[in-house]
Amino acid sequence: MLSKSQARAFFLGGTFLFSAIFVFLTVDTVRQNDTRTNVQNMTEDVLKGKEIWEKNNCMGCHTLLGEGAYYAPDLTKVVERRGATWIDVFLDDPQAMFPGERKMVKYNFTKEEKVQVIAFLDWVGKINANGWPPKPNIPIDSIATPQIPQVKSNAVVLSQPEKFSQLCIACHAVGGKGGNVGPALDHVGSKFDSDYLNRWLSDPQAIKPGTNMPKLPLTDPERKDIVTYLSALK
Amino acid sequence: MRFQSQKVAYWFFATCMLLLSLQIVYGFIMGFARIGLDGLHDFIPFNTARATHTNLLVVWLLTGFMGAAYYIIPEESDRELYSVKLAYIQLLSWVVVGVIAIIGFHFNWWEGRKFLEIPRPLDYLVVVNVLTFLFNIAMTIWQAKKRSTTQLVLFFGLLCAALLYLPGMIYFDNQTLDSYFRWWVVHLWVEGVWELIMGGILAFLLIKLTGVDREVIEKWLYVVVGLTFLSGILGTGHHYYWIGTPKYWLMIGGIFSALEPLAFLGMAIWALNMYRKKGKNHPNKIALYWTLGSAMMSFIGAGFLGFAHTWPSVNQWTHGTLITAMHGHLAFWGAYAMLVLAVISYAMPNLTGRKLFTGMSGYLAFWASNIGMLGMTGALAVAGITQVYLERKLGMDFLVVQKEIIFHFIGMLLAATLFTVGIAYFIVDFIRHGLPSNEAVGKNLGDLD
Repeated sequence: MLSKSQARAFFLGGTFLFSAIFVFLTVDTVRQNDTRTNVQNMTEDVLKGKEIWEKNNCMGCHTLLGEGAYYAPDLTKVVERRGATWIDVFLDDPQAMFPGERKMVKYNFTKEEKVQVIAFLDWVGKINANGWPPKPNIPIDSIATPQIPQVKSNAVVLSQPEKFSQLCIACHAVGGKGGNVGPALDHVGSKFDSDYLNRWLSDPQAIKPGTNMPKLPLTDPERKDIVTYLSALK
Repeated sequence: MRFQSQKVAYWFFATCMLLLSLQIVYGFIMGFARIGLDGLHDFIPFNTARATHTNLLVVWLLTGFMGAAYYIIPEESDRELYSVKLAYIQLLSWVVVGVIAIIGFHFNWWEGRKFLEIPRPLDYLVVVNVLTFLFNIAMTIWQAKKRSTTQLVLFFGLLCAALLYLPGMIYFDNQTLDSYFRWWVVHLWVEGVWELIMGGILAFLLIKLTGVDREVIEKWLYVVVGLTFLSGILGTGHHYYWIGTPKYWLMIGGIFSALEPLAFLGMAIWALNMYRKKGKNHPNKIALYWTLGSAMMSFIGAGFLGFAHTWPSVNQWTHGTLITAMHGHLAFWGAYAMLVLAVISYAMPNLTGRKLFTGMSGYLAFWASNIGMLGMTGALAVAGITQVYLERKLGMDFLVVQKEIIFHFIGMLLAATLFTVGIAYFIVDFIRHGLPSNEAVGKNLGDLD
């Protein structure tokens, strides 16, 4: 049977050996880090963005590379998923973009700070994270559940304006694609005329006080494009 | 208690009770926010509640370890503590730093790195504080009449815990490296040197409560902590799968974290065997409940549930979901919280000379809190598995999935209420013991050594 001094040798020997391996692997990890994390792309904005990220303890709700608090979405690929424009609008007033949902603090970032946060998240999204997060691997239609009837619309014929796919689609769906915070817009063109849609987009609150629809920062031509597109959805 | 200076431990334990209560309050704030009742959002947003909840956990456990050390080291060294005055100064400054940190969290003053949210200036104060603590303990051991393995393992654990705090204080502008070295603190604490501290405290309690020969217990202490380091050091790799580090961490982290349950299994078998070998019955059954309970629950929570989601092909789906929260709750409860409660249960009658361990309330505290914690873990497990399938495997939207699992959080809140009842019983018992008394010096109630 093991004696006490053998037990001690096992403890000390094991600790020393595995600590040494750990230090060796750490040196190698640090050596490979520049390539794996694209250090050349770490601009001044990225560094500032990281500071803002930490200063406000964003990880106290969100996760990043899967590390965080599981209360708010993982933001590793958020720039790829939502796009810079949407994040920019979202940060101005998070609760307006997801009314009645889980709340996020309104941080009142300046234009510059928002650019920095987005730059940081964009850089994080391009880190070589061994393929994480994985793509969903169970196709929804393989599950025997009653399907939401797919709405037939002429959306395919008409291409979506850029701003529409950047902003509106986060909450509204067209042709089964998009968010479900607001109603689907497949037949919106037959319900409202273009004049009404134009006024609605200019100031939703003025038309329907208390509506969940936020007033989006759109220039006149952008709004016109969207109205034309919506009017065609019949 | 044998020595007058062991009384210091009482004040550390009292601080523990206070911080634990506060931790529970913040846990409830988070639980309610998850079911949509987030009325405190403007004053205590989720990230504040979360940082407070986890930091209070760390601080109360460390306070408990310090109290345990101040209680155990004099007895193991067979002499008074080096300086009682220093111990009180240390406790006071520790509490002041903690209070400032927690108030700071409510005013957006923090470092924003998970588990290490304490702002940098306060980090330095923590270091000074812990050095003071270690100096006091080291001097006591240095001038001791006798050396014991338990004493040395405990000291080595505390020393390494202090040293490993330092990598967390280096600033990295690269997120991957930042995360890499943050785990040196968090993982190597929880799955490394804290287990050493746990082993040391467990050995002391087993010696006192079972009366089995010290040599036998201490031999197995080496084996258990040996297994801990053997698996735990490279087991850090399971945090390095998806943060931008090389691919070999998948294999190394996978293999060594699969070995991690062995250390906890060893701990459980060791404690149960020593109990089976006992000569006589120690009257303080409640302390024995917590001691053996800790050894077993740590195997389930830290060993088994950790094992359940650290294999890379599983972890790629469960990483960053409520599965982690599920494992975290039972792991911390079993391994460290129950152990601190075991030390307190053992030490209180000795410190005060009052034999409250004969009553019913101790058992109520034990069973209500344990069943409550198992219920919370179960609720989080179901919520976590649902989340993994809907969000990760099917690709549903995060917020949509969160609405699907609200029901499980109602379950969690109910289990948490039972847990809180248990802890309330424990604290009431703690208060009923009263203050440490001079008449209790020089004798231990019912020790078998």
